[in-house]
Amino acid sequence: MIRAARAQPLVTIAFLLVLGLFAVAQTPQARFEQALRAIPVTDTARPLAAFALGLSQPDFPAAEVIQLAERLAATSYSIPEKEAVLLSVVVAMEEGLPVDGLVTKGLEGLARGIPVPQIARSLHQRLILLAETRDLLYAKGIFSVAPGSPQSVPTALPTPRFNLLITHISDTIADYLEGGGSPFEGQTLLQEVRFRLTTLQGATLKVEDVELVLKRIGPADLTRIALAAVS
Amino acid sequence: MSPNSIDDILRDALRQEAAETAGGLARLEERIVVELGERRPRLRVSDWLRQLLAPTRGGRIGQLSVVGATATICLLLGVFIANQAGLTNTSPGIRLTPTLAEDGNQEVLFVLPALDASDVSVVGNFNSWEPTALEDDDNDGIWTASIPLSPGRYEYAFVIDGRWWGQDPLADEYVQSFGEYSSVRYVGGGDGA
Repeated sequence: MIRAARAQPLVTIAFLLVLGLFAVAQTPQARFEQALRAIPVTDTARPLAAFALGLSQPDFPAAEVIQLAERLAATSYSIPEKEAVLLSVVVAMEEGLPVDGLVTKGLEGLARGIPVPQIARSLHQRLILLAETRDLLYAKGIFSVAPGSPQSVPTALPTPRFNLLITHISDTIADYLEGGGSPFEGQTLLQEVRFRLTTLQGATLKVEDVELVLKRIGPADLTRIALAAVS
Repeated sequence: MSPNSIDDILRDALRQEAAETAGGLARLEERIVVELGERRPRLRVSDWLRQLLAPTRGGRIGQLSVVGATATICLLLGVFIANQAGLTNTSPGIRLTPTLAEDGNQEVLFVLPALDASDVSVVGNFNSWEPTALEDDDNDGIWTASIPLSPGRYEYAFVIDGRWWGQDPLADEYVQSFGEYSSVRYVGGGDGA
């Protein structure tokens, strides 16, 4: 009897350890699905499929995406409002766009206590900017190739490098617009983009990538992107 | 007594008096000098400062320059003494410039003076906007945290007793986010991705 009483705490600790191990061993998909069910989203299939696509991308911020879903679940907003925030991230994952900027903006908004519908609007605008920026680079003959694939043209950049360019260009325009800047100030937009890219060249961006982009884009291109985001 | 002897006596007396008077006058000058020396008022520091700061015609700038020079000397002396005594190094290891860590990350120092704060943290896209506490071990009101960051661009804000503060004086730039300011720090290094 006494032995059993002494053993009881040990059993509890062992049980907790097993639970902890189970939690750690959970796959990212399982954790994401759990967070989706906690919201609870009406349809888990689409976001889960998009998440699987995202996981196949290099540098995909899976942990941050899961955090966003978990923190959304903890808010008291309605399900459609929470889903609106997730939708921008899901669409970006489906499109193969970099989601870092969207996710961190969503996390920031939640941490600041910004109303979820306002966060959803901000993310939607940033999603448009991401897609428009990618299309602009394509139009300027700058392409993305999977890492390790043969480089058909010199302007085809490995996906992580290409995605970094998209992220920083679109992020700069988004910040500019959010700070009250006019989309018609193409020259100012270009200055902002040039500053951001040249500051990061040699740190996270390749010098040749920055030079390539700055050689090919102009004020009118950035005005067109900014207008697409605000219209 | 003959009149001649009276004249002689008077002449001698006058000569002696004149000689004494001359000697007395000579000593008088000496005595006055000594007396003045003894009576010269001792200039105290407060009087000296008052004289320096007193408005005078044309001499003000010169006086102020003397005050400025004195203050500078005192300041330099103070800094030198403080350095010698180790007073300026109250938080060993704190450096305002990023230092390279072994894993290629850079130790970036976040510093915020917040004298009356009881809890200071930093939130940013490097910690998923989850608070990382700043510390003020010596209770001097200067809160610090050293965070390893890989090269890149980081947006952040301080949270002081629950209130967000997005304008770090040490930031490289500021952006508006959701109508509020965020600070931005660029961490350089490496040769690109």
